[in-house]
Amino acid sequence: MAEKPKLGMYWASSCGGCEISLVNLDEKILDIAANFDFVFCPCLLDTKKADIEAMPDGGLALTFFNGAIRTAENEEMARLLRAKSQTLAAFGACACEGSIPGLANLSGREDLFKAVYLDNPSTQNQMKTIPQAFTGVPEGGLRIPEFCERVKTLKDVVAVDYFLPGCPPEPSRVWSVVEAIISGKPLGPKGGVIGAGDCAVCDECPRTKKDKRLKRFFRTWEIVPDTESCLLEQGLVCMGIATRSGCGGLCPRVNMPCTGCYGPPAGVSDQGAKMVGALGSILDVEPLRGLSEEDLEREIEGRRAFLPDPAGTFYKYSLPGSILKGARK
Amino acid sequence: MKTAVYFCTCSGNVTEKIDPEHVRQRLGELHEGVSFFEAGLLCSEEGRESLASDIAKNRPDRVVIAACSPREHEAEFMRALAAGGMNPYLMHMVNIREQVAWVTEDPAEASAKAARLISAGVARAALHEPLEKRELDVCPDAVVLGAGPAGLKAALLLAGAGRKVTLVEKSPLIGGMPVRYEELFPALECGPCMIEPLLGDVLHGELATNIELLTLSELTEVLGFYGNFSVKIKKRPRYADTEKCIGCAECVEACPVSAGNQYNYGMDERKAVYFPFPGALPNVPVLDEALCLRFSGGDCRLCADACPVPGAIDLDDREEIVGRKAGAVIVATGSGVYDCRGLPNLGYGEIAGVYTAPEFERLLAANGPTGGEIVGRDGRAPGSVAIIHCVGSMDKGHADYCSGICCRYALKFNHMLEKKLPGAKVYHFFRELAVPGKEDFALLKHARENPEALFIRYSDIRDLEIRDGGSGPSIIHRPGSGKSETFAAGMVVLCPAVVPAAGAGALAAMLDAPLDGFGFFEELHGRLDSAKSKMNGVYLAGACQAPMDIREAMSRGAAAAGCALSELVPGRMLDVSPLHGVVDAEKCSGCRVCVAVCPYKAISFDPELGAAEINPVLCRGCGTCAAACPLEAIGANHFTTGEILAEMEGALNG
Repeated sequence: MAEKPKLGMYWASSCGGCEISLVNLDEKILDIAANFDFVFCPCLLDTKKADIEAMPDGGLALTFFNGAIRTAENEEMARLLRAKSQTLAAFGACACEGSIPGLANLSGREDLFKAVYLDNPSTQNQMKTIPQAFTGVPEGGLRIPEFCERVKTLKDVVAVDYFLPGCPPEPSRVWSVVEAIISGKPLGPKGGVIGAGDCAVCDECPRTKKDKRLKRFFRTWEIVPDTESCLLEQGLVCMGIATRSGCGGLCPRVNMPCTGCYGPPAGVSDQGAKMVGALGSILDVEPLRGLSEEDLEREIEGRRAFLPDPAGTFYKYSLPGSILKGARK
Repeated sequence: MKTAVYFCTCSGNVTEKIDPEHVRQRLGELHEGVSFFEAGLLCSEEGRESLASDIAKNRPDRVVIAACSPREHEAEFMRALAAGGMNPYLMHMVNIREQVAWVTEDPAEASAKAARLISAGVARAALHEPLEKRELDVCPDAVVLGAGPAGLKAALLLAGAGRKVTLVEKSPLIGGMPVRYEELFPALECGPCMIEPLLGDVLHGELATNIELLTLSELTEVLGFYGNFSVKIKKRPRYADTEKCIGCAECVEACPVSAGNQYNYGMDERKAVYFPFPGALPNVPVLDEALCLRFSGGDCRLCADACPVPGAIDLDDREEIVGRKAGAVIVATGSGVYDCRGLPNLGYGEIAGVYTAPEFERLLAANGPTGGEIVGRDGRAPGSVAIIHCVGSMDKGHADYCSGICCRYALKFNHMLEKKLPGAKVYHFFRELAVPGKEDFALLKHARENPEALFIRYSDIRDLEIRDGGSGPSIIHRPGSGKSETFAAGMVVLCPAVVPAAGAGALAAMLDAPLDGFGFFEELHGRLDSAKSKMNGVYLAGACQAPMDIREAMSRGAAAAGCALSELVPGRMLDVSPLHGVVDAEKCSGCRVCVAVCPYKAISFDPELGAAEINPVLCRGCGTCAAACPLEAIGANHFTTGEILAEMEGALNG
């Protein structure tokens, strides 16, 4: 019997949701097992790094790499898996754009350690211990992987063949990719996005869209939106307009605004900036006409108060991959 | 790719600071295929001719002209390119005079900066696409909204040039406000007599065949755009046939019900079927459904039975929606007046002897409720009249501007009071006196010479209080400093501010022609282009754009007609610039963010296509939609993202 192509899945700085998404293929996971030799997946299998190191370069036909690059270990594994994989796919929003771990780029390493290990009200740390790459102990020295200054995306570290966006990628879209690989269909040009659409979520959202003019924003707990009309028009910051299609409009279908997990649409380099540009364009500024400087400032501050976390709203999934990248020091 | 860079020395203006040799060298290092030409004065006739022949000879793929601001000569250079057989949009201009030579002091820095900018221009021009102007058929006809002085003038001039005009008037009569005034400032001519010939021309003159008059009508829908509007007009029923009716008024006699006449501000009564006032044109009655017994469940048809002309009274008349095509819409819908109840200290609506100026005009008018006699609601002629100027005008929170016409009609009142009520005292309470105009000053002179006239200046309208003094109103003037004074007057006339018409907002929304901060129609440019709105093809005339007198309204009507005549010429096509936004319909998600953003209302949404569409005729290429589009589905011709990025990169790497 001919040897099956080998499949790997690795988690770098991630939550495990991407593996859940793969498992959510349900019985189709058996088709994967039938077509691939699933050799590496720390979340599900017991193979070790050494097993991969022992493989020849290109020994893995396909690796789904999820998670952002937060630590030196993440980076090392990215390099290793790049070398061992014929096809390396960034799987999920963290590997593609940096996503939730990437919001840490709004602070530097020191501030993060201070917040987590020293100032956190639920932490008891009288010795003020913070993680060190090297710690001297009587028996010698202990090393842990270094915590990098910045979160990076997979493509910041190694060449990536394909990007599968989503937080997590929808199982149906994952299957469409796997199925294409199994049946030998071309995946498109290298460096491209697979398992997603080229348009925006609005394209898949069944709600009625009208011309937009917003008086103010609401947070999700402030209103019960109607189920027919566009959530953005109702004042909820729905990221659907600036988010790549592919999910089928899952969130707006259940009355929740899109938070942007499929990342920037094709051709857009900065999802957050596009969203800010679009919102700035549709905010109703008529009442601001003729106001004095002071009144104008007060009015703008008042409106801004409805958006307490702009970076976490507009760049929730894409900060490290954006032009902005993070807070500048 | 062959790029020809023309460096204009501007007769030394540019080379005083910028070294062309440095630029030539730097471009050679940065780009391949660039040929560099230095020219003495490229904008001269000789310069442009040599540019054209050069291009014809060398056949470059792109041209970059480093010279002055494109505002100066870009159009001429584009024509030179076309003359040389090249698509003019393959050229890019780099401003090295105003933006470099004139502002960058140090010659070395200026040369380096110029090289960077020109290099950026070369990088940008490489991505330029050959764009073509388009031409469009236009409809030269017009819809004129409002049959007051401005609208009438515009309609007649357009009709005189052979254009078809649909003249839409909301009320049952035409002529606007002046037909309700006995005498007009500054020369005290009879208003109806002066306007009547114009009305006659519209109704049955030689040009009338080109004018379709729709009274009791309002615009309800506007589709299309400049040169090709398609409008819907709601025509309310008059219940009298304007063609058949002979204006005999038998129907009015027969009508059994009456109510206050709004055309005389309720100062007398009229029947359910009525003429607004004697002499109102068209001379055809109108039926008031709210008052008529037939419309409250009865079956009265006394008017129809009394009518001597069969079918002239048509009780089955119904509301109608009519559609018309036009290339231009002229807004001449006039203004409103300030509601004097907003200043309760003046007692309007509470004290019988307090009138507004429009009401007083009707008292002066021979066809008014008193037949032109100045008598109060008690039937007695007042022994004195107080005229309060500037009511609501120049007043923050009311109308924060001078209404411009009030002083002049107030002085006209003075003149007429002197004539009609000899010996009566006339008090002018004013905040400011504004009497501009070569003929108008005579009014002030005359009033000042009236021995019975007294001018009292107040500083704040709240310093005045009008009370019911029993035998007539009394005016208490309490200046901020000094003694308060009380004046008894048999009648008080308030001169209310001229304010935007009540329906201006809705009409503006329908036409997509914005209002200004005061609520009047906003002009494209207050000085340079005051006959045009911000919407292409929508022209403005008369008091809808600002308070104005009849003379100015007539001139503005003529101006609007002139613009429409010059811009929409039968047989001439409309040039459509290729510099407009373009939607990639495949990519558009249909979110409709862009639609409301466009200041020129050029974007619409096609529900079948599920995508936005940009009308190139309305689009002015501002790029607002391209910036707003959250998925880059909108591009702007000649300012594509690629071109802009190439220019930026070129500048950074230069």
